[in-house]
Amino acid sequence: MDNQKLVDEAIKILSQEDVKCIIGYSKDSNGFRVSPLFVRNKGDAEKLFFSPLCSMSLINYLTLEKGNFLRENKDAQGEKIAIMARGCDSRALMQLITEKGIAREEVIILGVPCRGVIDLKKIEAKFPGVRTCAEVTEDQDTYRVCFDNESHEIPREELLADHCKYCAFPNPLVHDLLLDEPVEQKPANYADIEAMEKKELDEKHEYWKEKFSQCLRCYACRNACPLCYCDNCILERLSPSWVNRSVNLPENVVFHLARSYHLAGRCAGCGECERVCPAHLPLMLLNRKLEKDIKELFGYTAGTDSEEKPVFASFNPKDPEDFIL
Amino acid sequence: MECHILSKDKVKDFLNALGNYELVAPLTRNGVTAFEPIANPQEAELDLINQPHPPKRFIFPQTEVLLTFDKANKAKEPKTRAGQKQQIIFGIRPCDARSFSILDPVFEKDYPDPYYLNKRESTILIGIQCSQPYPNCFCTSVGGDPSSSEGLDLLLFDLGESYLLEVITPKGEQLTKETSSVLSAPSADQEKEKDKIQAEAREKIQRNIEIQAIPEKIKEHFDHTIWKELAEKCISCGICTYTCPTCYCFDIQDERIKGKGARVRIWDSCMFSEYTLHASGHNPRPTRAERLRNRIHHKFKQNIELYGVPGCVGCGRCITLCPANEDLIENLQEIRKL
Repeated sequence: MDNQKLVDEAIKILSQEDVKCIIGYSKDSNGFRVSPLFVRNKGDAEKLFFSPLCSMSLINYLTLEKGNFLRENKDAQGEKIAIMARGCDSRALMQLITEKGIAREEVIILGVPCRGVIDLKKIEAKFPGVRTCAEVTEDQDTYRVCFDNESHEIPREELLADHCKYCAFPNPLVHDLLLDEPVEQKPANYADIEAMEKKELDEKHEYWKEKFSQCLRCYACRNACPLCYCDNCILERLSPSWVNRSVNLPENVVFHLARSYHLAGRCAGCGECERVCPAHLPLMLLNRKLEKDIKELFGYTAGTDSEEKPVFASFNPKDPEDFIL
Repeated sequence: MECHILSKDKVKDFLNALGNYELVAPLTRNGVTAFEPIANPQEAELDLINQPHPPKRFIFPQTEVLLTFDKANKAKEPKTRAGQKQQIIFGIRPCDARSFSILDPVFEKDYPDPYYLNKRESTILIGIQCSQPYPNCFCTSVGGDPSSSEGLDLLLFDLGESYLLEVITPKGEQLTKETSSVLSAPSADQEKEKDKIQAEAREKIQRNIEIQAIPEKIKEHFDHTIWKELAEKCISCGICTYTCPTCYCFDIQDERIKGKGARVRIWDSCMFSEYTLHASGHNPRPTRAERLRNRIHHKFKQNIELYGVPGCVGCGRCITLCPANEDLIENLQEIRKL
């Protein structure tokens, strides 16, 4: 992506009177880590950039705190926030808009066509202990990773985040401007889910038992999710208490099943839950299984159509009901 | 200081000789490395760099049953776990070991906590000097050292073919007696080697922060807008607190099904908005700015005032594991500049 274009557009947007903040990615980083950046003046706009290291989704910052902290004046009507959005992020935005979580006119979407991002856990395992700011560029099949005056060529497959391998929406579906040429789009691919579905029940049980018992219950998966923005979260309720606070296998199972079911027909596939998890739980397997089921049952894919009502907010007499007991 | 030599090929025999203790050590299982209880001493991996999750949970578990109750029998049973089996945490790093000397006064003073103290007393800490610090380690800035023996009973130094085993406490001395058949006496050269390793390890610490001025700055600038700026990236999850070796906040809940149940103590995190939510609905720390300020205030002002040391051992986990790239050292540097 042409970085100068990003900076120029950002400066142009900031000069609009109704825009007080742009959320993007910062070059001020260490090692392979990239920080979110909240740009409020033209000087800071120079720090904006995009690279395959920008694995974080920024959409969550729009709904993270009540009475949006990004606005200069909480009561200001018509104050806009500009935000960088990749394909998956644009799905999250579209879903938020159809759910009326945010209003379309409140955001300016800087669309970033994206060929997939690097999994930080994979690159840090490959090059442990790097503290100086690393740069990564990509071509068709390789990443060029540069730090400490060294350059390494690594096959894309080795570092690409798992959920990006199956991405069917690499180009922003909703945007006010596009920062680069659209990239090649692939058809939906659920190979990972199909492989899991074929496993014996016992095998699946053992797999998830082992994964869920590692959960720290740090709530990072929920807090990082752009679609988790309920004022009153089921995972926090104490009366009634749907999920006990004890951290053990049965409670952890309920925690994660409740979370993934509350995202059924809503998950945008950005992979934030999996990215932030300090226990390396493969949470996108749950989300993508539900995405696949809903696609098969209702012909619906979250965040892909701004005209369509959310799947669980609509009723069609032809909806399948053979799964209802 | 009394020292012994433990040859690397005898580590397994050393651990076998300690078969009467419950053993906790770092190991890799299904690609995840962590401190885990081990049944087979061969599983212990001492050459791993420090673990993402500290072994704090073996003394202060994330979930702990305080008592059980049964409405039908009107029975209440406290579980203080007196007479707990002795456990050894083997391969703990000096920073994590030091964390227990920071936690001890919290659970000892005013209201001695039998749950913590019983486990603390029945735990022996065998540390390994830290020769491979993480890029975000800053123990030397908060009173620690990669070779610190604070909180430890025995400390191992890696000499290549063997370990130099330094005895720190009488508990540690007792262990060397139980394992004397696999230990030998060090040569003068080997003892000198230790000094060299200590100096080298200090050099490897890449990050540092002067903390002397911090408490005063926090007091002076309690209402400054900087807190909002620093907290902007934070996503209010519990990773920094749950992977912190010195965080000790907890919640207590009664969990029950049909009249039977347990009173449990579980870790809590000051980074959650619910942490300070009152029954009235009022929240004195309504935004991330107040919560981040509280965390820094507690660790770098309050803890120093109460116990004389910062509530931080400089392990750098909160920096390394933060999903939004919040950097404690950079944040402290910004506060110093005020």
